[in-house]
Amino acid sequence: MRNVSVIGGGMSLFRRRLKETGKELSFLASKMAMEEAGVQRSDIDMVVMGSAPDAFDGIHMKGENLLDGAGGKDKPYVRVFNGGGTGVFAPIAGWWHVASGVADMVMVVCEEKMGSCNPHPQTAFRNIWDPILDRPLNPNLVWLFAMEMNRYMTRYDIKKEDIARVAVKNKRNAVGHPCAQLPDANITVEDVLNSEMMAWPVNRLDISPPSDGASALIYCSEEKAKEFTDDPINVAGVGWNIDSSMWTNRDLYFPDYVANAAKMAYKMAGINDPRKEIDFAEPYDPFTYKELHHLEGLLLCDKGEAPILTREGVTERDGDLPVCPSGGLLGVGNPIAATMGQKVCELYWQLAGKAGKRQIPGDPQVGVGQAWGDIMQMGTVLVMRRG
Amino acid sequence: MTYLEKQSNPLDPVHFRGNLQADYLYTSGAAGDKFFKHIMENDSFLASECEECGTVFCPPRLYCEDCFVEIPDEKWKEVPAKGTVRLFTTAMLNTFGEPLEVPKIIGLIDIEGTDSSMLGILKTKDQKQDLTGITVEAVFRPTQEREGTLKDILYFNESG
Amino acid sequence: MSEERIEGQPKYAPGTHVRSKDIRERKITYTWWEPEAQYAFSLGPANSRFLKELKAGKIIGRTCRKCDRVIVPPRMFCDWCYDTTHEWVYLKDTGTVETFSISYLDPDAHLIEDPILVGVISIDGASPKHGFMHYFGEMKPEDLRIGMKVKAVWKPKEERVGSVTDIKYFKPLIGGDE
Repeated sequence: MRNVSVIGGGMSLFRRRLKETGKELSFLASKMAMEEAGVQRSDIDMVVMGSAPDAFDGIHMKGENLLDGAGGKDKPYVRVFNGGGTGVFAPIAGWWHVASGVADMVMVVCEEKMGSCNPHPQTAFRNIWDPILDRPLNPNLVWLFAMEMNRYMTRYDIKKEDIARVAVKNKRNAVGHPCAQLPDANITVEDVLNSEMMAWPVNRLDISPPSDGASALIYCSEEKAKEFTDDPINVAGVGWNIDSSMWTNRDLYFPDYVANAAKMAYKMAGINDPRKEIDFAEPYDPFTYKELHHLEGLLLCDKGEAPILTREGVTERDGDLPVCPSGGLLGVGNPIAATMGQKVCELYWQLAGKAGKRQIPGDPQVGVGQAWGDIMQMGTVLVMRRG
Repeated sequence: MTYLEKQSNPLDPVHFRGNLQADYLYTSGAAGDKFFKHIMENDSFLASECEECGTVFCPPRLYCEDCFVEIPDEKWKEVPAKGTVRLFTTAMLNTFGEPLEVPKIIGLIDIEGTDSSMLGILKTKDQKQDLTGITVEAVFRPTQEREGTLKDILYFNESG
Repeated sequence: MSEERIEGQPKYAPGTHVRSKDIRERKITYTWWEPEAQYAFSLGPANSRFLKELKAGKIIGRTCRKCDRVIVPPRMFCDWCYDTTHEWVYLKDTGTVETFSISYLDPDAHLIEDPILVGVISIDGASPKHGFMHYFGEMKPEDLRIGMKVKAVWKPKEERVGSVTDIKYFKPLIGGDE
């Protein structure tokens, strides 16, 4: 396998609804990534598109619809998709195009236009439940996460205010992000705890907003990257794993599938002690508790310990283990697949020292990004390292 | 074999009915919004021209998919809402497979002054076998009834 | 473009924010669409039997002898050993609350006044942690807790149709109430 380097990233604005079509958003994000990398469409051998359920955009087989905006015309092009895991899985798929030697340069584009779905993007989620066993109960997807959060809190005796700190940290971190939908420099734990109760124990500010948006990333072989930079940023390891869809037959307090994916990625990256060797993390944070759940799944702390680290400030941007320095989904927004911008592009910008106001101090060398999806079952992990 | 266990009673439930419950609101897009706002006021189209390869898109696009460059405002222009039929078919059934009382002719129309074609319903002066190459002109809804969607174009009428 | 430029990558934020007001006032154009597709979902042998038994007021599971496992809702294959399952087995209509939520959201994410009590119940007679999602009733939201014993409350026989909703909800199981 060849070493794969990242040479550019791009992101559109993230908002509840954008005027641009999905194609247009894909174009705008791709164009930015190409500008940063200093390449043209003709330099790109293949394109990977990541986009979550068709039911959000409301275009069946939207991979085909989006391809011209993603620069995929007349090229080998494929859409990959595994729900919320897509934001990290699409760059994993892009990686294997280059690592295998099939392509020298690949662009990964992720898009989501959730504003199309009415009356609310949640409505699309009605259709992901088992039509026979679950749907007659008229479920809302937030129920799932509320139940998982409750299980997690009860198992480790975690207080809601410790979980609320995640929203405070991430929305404050997002203040330095030009694309951010919900940055808030002054938010407090009380604001989160006092926000509307959606489904106990989940309050409104525990949830990331649905968004329209796109992001893009350009990879090339390390050899080729030397034409562009003296200091390449490489993908060091990738991993993915999925648990059974029979979620009512599983205990929900620990995400084994994330741990399995992380072990796969760490092994490839030659990381034996992730707590020592990883400098910062971008775990998936569609809900506050998920950041904590995923930090434990990524083996960056003991089970039940993530809330304590958060309370002690370890996960702040200037802490020992900065977590979601981008502002995450809670602060920047959650256009499902397009969160590649926070979870993978951010690793690149941080490692390359290009993150501006969001820059982590201390010259970080290794970062890990992770996404999660489907019915609490999918874990996707990517480790990036300065070459 | 458990997989082969058969339903012994044919009256047992064998399926559940359901539908997809979401509705959709599609924004026309950066380029689409300009196009549809134009046809709400005018009986003509807008087109956009790639600065690099010169391709003229109608409906206009924000970018050229080949050169992958944004098309600036000054490369937009008005074109007549007419063209030449390139391909056509006659639909005898509706979307649900039921016979149509009046068969519907659908054509792909090369829009004059552009490198693009649009799908539209065709109305001809007489019953012809081959519509390829005939010139047609868009017939719009009355201005006050236009909503800024493709439905503002009622059909394309054979010219002359 | 966002009004304020912030230092660092991404350099700028392309895109045009549209507010609900812009849609209501038709400041931008859009197309509305309602999908017309209808579906008939096949139940398959496991679900058919499960729902038929619910109609009869019983909960049925399926055993995997290899894994020494009783699975509910029943399936014709075991996702652990990836082999076919073996026997049908009737379970109790009692169980334990594994987790729950008190939901103020309807399926379209609208807020509602009276919360829905919902959770996962592991069913007595099935393997540990094996059960399904359902509602709770005959209790106050503040009384609901993980580990609580509950019992199914069934719809009257004539109202049952062969659906998971043939169980109205699970209520607290008090003493030897079975």
